[in-house]
Amino acid sequence: MTIDTSIGPDKARELFRAELVEVRTAAELQALRTRWVGRKGSWVAAFMEALATATPEQKKALGRGANELKKEVEAAIEEREAALAATRRPAHAVDITLPGRRPALGHRHPLSLVRDEVGAIFTRLGYQVLEGPEIEDDYHNFEALNMPEAHPARDMQDTLYLAEPIMPPGNPKGLPPLASQVPGAIAARLAPQPLTLLRTHTSAMQIRHMEQNAPPVRLVAIGPVYRKDNLDLTHTPMFHQVEGLVVGKGVTLADLKGTLAAMAEALFGSGTGVRFRPSFFPYTEPSAEVDIQCIKCKGSGCAMCKRTGWIEILGSGMVHPAVFEAVGYDPNEVTGFAFGMGVERVALLKWGVEDIRLFYENDLRFLEQFGR
Amino acid sequence: MKVLLSWIREFVDVPESAEAIGKLLSVRGLALEGLEPHGDDVVMDFDVTANRPDCLSMIGIAREIATAYGRPLRSEGAGFSHRQGSATAKAVALRTSPEGISVTIEAPELCGRYVGAVAEVTVGPSPQWLQERLTACGIRSISNVVDITNYVLLELGQPMHAFDLAKLGGGALVVRQAKPGESITTLDGKIRSLTPGMLVIADASQAQAIGGVMGGADSEVSAGTTRIVFEAAYFKPSSVRATSKALGLKTDASTRFERGMDVTAPARAMARACQLLEQIGAGKASGTIQDVYPDPQPAASLVLERTRVPGLLGMDVPDAEVERILTSLGFTVAPHEGGPYGDDAVGDGWLVTAPSWRVDIKRQVDLIEEVGRHHGFEHLPSTFPGVQQAPAASDPRIVRDRRVRTALLGMGYSEAITFAFIAAAAAEPFLSGDAPVALANPLSEKFAVMRPSLLPGLIDAVSHNRRHGRREVQLFEIGTRFSPRGETRGAGFAWTGLATADHWSGARREVDFFDLKGVVEQLAAVGLVTLTFGEADVPYLVKGRSATITAHGETIGVFGLLDAGVGERRDLPAGDEVYVGEINLDALTAAAPADTLRATPLPRYPWVVRDISILVEDALSAETVRGTIRSAAPVTLRDVHEFDRYQGTGIPDGKVSLSFRLTFQSPERTLTDDEVQAGMQHIIDALTRDLQAIQR
Repeated sequence: MTIDTSIGPDKARELFRAELVEVRTAAELQALRTRWVGRKGSWVAAFMEALATATPEQKKALGRGANELKKEVEAAIEEREAALAATRRPAHAVDITLPGRRPALGHRHPLSLVRDEVGAIFTRLGYQVLEGPEIEDDYHNFEALNMPEAHPARDMQDTLYLAEPIMPPGNPKGLPPLASQVPGAIAARLAPQPLTLLRTHTSAMQIRHMEQNAPPVRLVAIGPVYRKDNLDLTHTPMFHQVEGLVVGKGVTLADLKGTLAAMAEALFGSGTGVRFRPSFFPYTEPSAEVDIQCIKCKGSGCAMCKRTGWIEILGSGMVHPAVFEAVGYDPNEVTGFAFGMGVERVALLKWGVEDIRLFYENDLRFLEQFGR
Repeated sequence: MKVLLSWIREFVDVPESAEAIGKLLSVRGLALEGLEPHGDDVVMDFDVTANRPDCLSMIGIAREIATAYGRPLRSEGAGFSHRQGSATAKAVALRTSPEGISVTIEAPELCGRYVGAVAEVTVGPSPQWLQERLTACGIRSISNVVDITNYVLLELGQPMHAFDLAKLGGGALVVRQAKPGESITTLDGKIRSLTPGMLVIADASQAQAIGGVMGGADSEVSAGTTRIVFEAAYFKPSSVRATSKALGLKTDASTRFERGMDVTAPARAMARACQLLEQIGAGKASGTIQDVYPDPQPAASLVLERTRVPGLLGMDVPDAEVERILTSLGFTVAPHEGGPYGDDAVGDGWLVTAPSWRVDIKRQVDLIEEVGRHHGFEHLPSTFPGVQQAPAASDPRIVRDRRVRTALLGMGYSEAITFAFIAAAAAEPFLSGDAPVALANPLSEKFAVMRPSLLPGLIDAVSHNRRHGRREVQLFEIGTRFSPRGETRGAGFAWTGLATADHWSGARREVDFFDLKGVVEQLAAVGLVTLTFGEADVPYLVKGRSATITAHGETIGVFGLLDAGVGERRDLPAGDEVYVGEINLDALTAAAPADTLRATPLPRYPWVVRDISILVEDALSAETVRGTIRSAAPVTLRDVHEFDRYQGTGIPDGKVSLSFRLTFQSPERTLTDDEVQAGMQHIIDALTRDLQAIQR
């Protein structure tokens, strides 16, 4: 808009205010300043020129009006200038909203997280955490666990066997110390035997440990186990197990219940109840399958728990006297409990994973969901 | 085991709903697997554990229900009434008949008892109610005679068989082992080759049934059959099991026999079958029942000590409850005073005799389980085992693996877990001369051999991620490797893509040899081990870009650029550069110094730093130059490391400019400029003399 003093200082002031509202940047503000209070060709300069040619009657009002306009313009521009300056980043400052330079940090595998968590829970409860061989002999995997030759679990469809047995290196400690207390036929079997199969459960570790150590025993053994199961939503031919074993004077089934209840609360949250259902395993008597209260519906019944309110989580029981006899413990002197739990099963439940095969694909899009 | 509620209710009064019964039984040892309405009846499917073959029957399940609810179980006779048919069971009169058949057990070690009975029959369809009961329980109705054998199987658990007498030669049944080369066509139409050790039921000339497994087609009951022989026998579990397994033939009968049947049941089952025959008008038994039971088994008695019940369970069960549970389950229970018993001394309690069908009861703990489960595990208190001594330390491998895992995570590697069995072809390049540890019965070719190395699994995992659109893949695995010498624990790692995170501020760089070498050096630092490196020559790595890892003269690992051919065979995209490495953690641990670490006090005198740049032949290894510096340096040299390596403008062809930073320090005094200068001169002289280096 061209400068036209005939509209008078009051109208000009309104015009200025309208223009000021439109100003967004420092450059625009500078242009506004030049246009209104510049030394030459500005509105204020034009009014000053007009003053020179004005009649004496007009002069007083025009002079006052022009002065007021100048004051307002200068004050308003100064104020806006300060406001604009406040939004500008100082020279030394950075854009803190840009992404950071992240030091590399890998993701934990969910099975490894569960394995560590269970290990930590039982370490807290005073257990030692052990690992054992994955290739086993028949004696430790079956026979010493009260699974004689004709037991169904020894079927070819369940157990994976080696094409060629591996002879283990000689035991540097010689025969296990307790072997001398074991009846002759069994003691002979404690000598190293050819390793013929992939362990079907971590229970084999129970035997290896008890052969070498007198009671009391308080251990968990964690590691991979192998079964001839086809891959599907809920099965993989390799999976991980946690084995627990406590042996001592006066160990009871109630002790097992207390221990597993504590574990369930630590793993799945406080208030997670456990239920014992009588079952059968050759190496425990009595035996129980253990359910936890459904973590989804808290026991009221949903699709996940098949409307029962309970989800099976592990097998357990009191160590069978035949197992004690096999390792040279006196079943009249000691009792014990044992349990075996699937690590994958815990991970599936804990994180709502629907396909167990995801644990073995190692797809980073999956692994990255589990923190570091 | 599928049971029909109405059938169960013939043995025990349970007005409760099938759901309620199922719920209670599930916490008493019989898990309810399914529940299906069947007309106005209900089919309940119970999961019967392998130790309880007695529960593979209506009477067995009914007995458990009766005990669970504390109700009486009706004698088996009371179960003989049906909606159609006579209201009460009546004794079956068995007339002696000269046409009866003789039974001989020639293999008493495989067959403990054999009961046979001849009957005149009119073969036809069974009555509707009988057909329906079989169908509801998952058994196809065939004919009245065959249906009766299956009905008795379901009701009493005793497998039975019916032969067509007209087709049996010689009027005799012989229970014997199969002869070499003998074969039989079984009821399913298949010809089965038999071997000695397998038990057969034969007539005078040939095998007519495989004992406890399946009957033969030759003597099958057919529409024209008029005289039959019913069989109810006790076969040795291990024999039936071995035969069933060898023939790959599993039947309702073999499943029961291999778990152990009631040796007293054959007689009861035979009586029941003959009674049913008359009841449904299918025929009539016509001869003496032949019951060959050469070595009757006495019932086994056990002492149950009173204190052992709470001692094992951790909960008290009142005496009356102990007696009620055992009695209800069919045990006979009498009070027993403590004192000598056989070779042992026993405490106060009960003398308990197990019923013949409870083949699983062998020890006192078996009785305690019965008491515990029927008293109810829900009454168990929650207690904790007492600690009698300080717990022993955990496996040191767990601690070590955790440290290695933490280090690798901190270096940006994500943790993988792969299957320990892999395809033979995937293992092949990694065998290093060993035979693979192969499986005798692998699940499939994909899982044929145990991994000799963690790398094949990791390469597959990298390949999976690359094929799913991931450009950067950095994975590790800590796991077991297998060789004919046994197991070792290793850490494997693989890296492809950018070595530097894609960031707005800076340059991008692809991963290279030195990224992997740095990882190995850091792992050595975790274990406080000093490593040396040599040129590697392995079929799966590119020569010239791979190195062996050595500790105390033993090669404990290898790393470098993956051979492109190996990668492509595992479906890696062509052109991908994947760096991989693997280290034997057991060997790394063995190489680590014993825990004799002692801290050294901090130096009291300042250090002096000098840089030096030289021009040498580019074929000269950095190690050689470093070695020359070290051997020429005074004892005050603390550290020497390369900080620049340059070739290009200003550097003659075949030469390289190397820059080293040297740090000098004395624990005893402040070094003077002059002595450091003298030391530097000595080093420069050595470099010039020995390596023809030119100082720049």
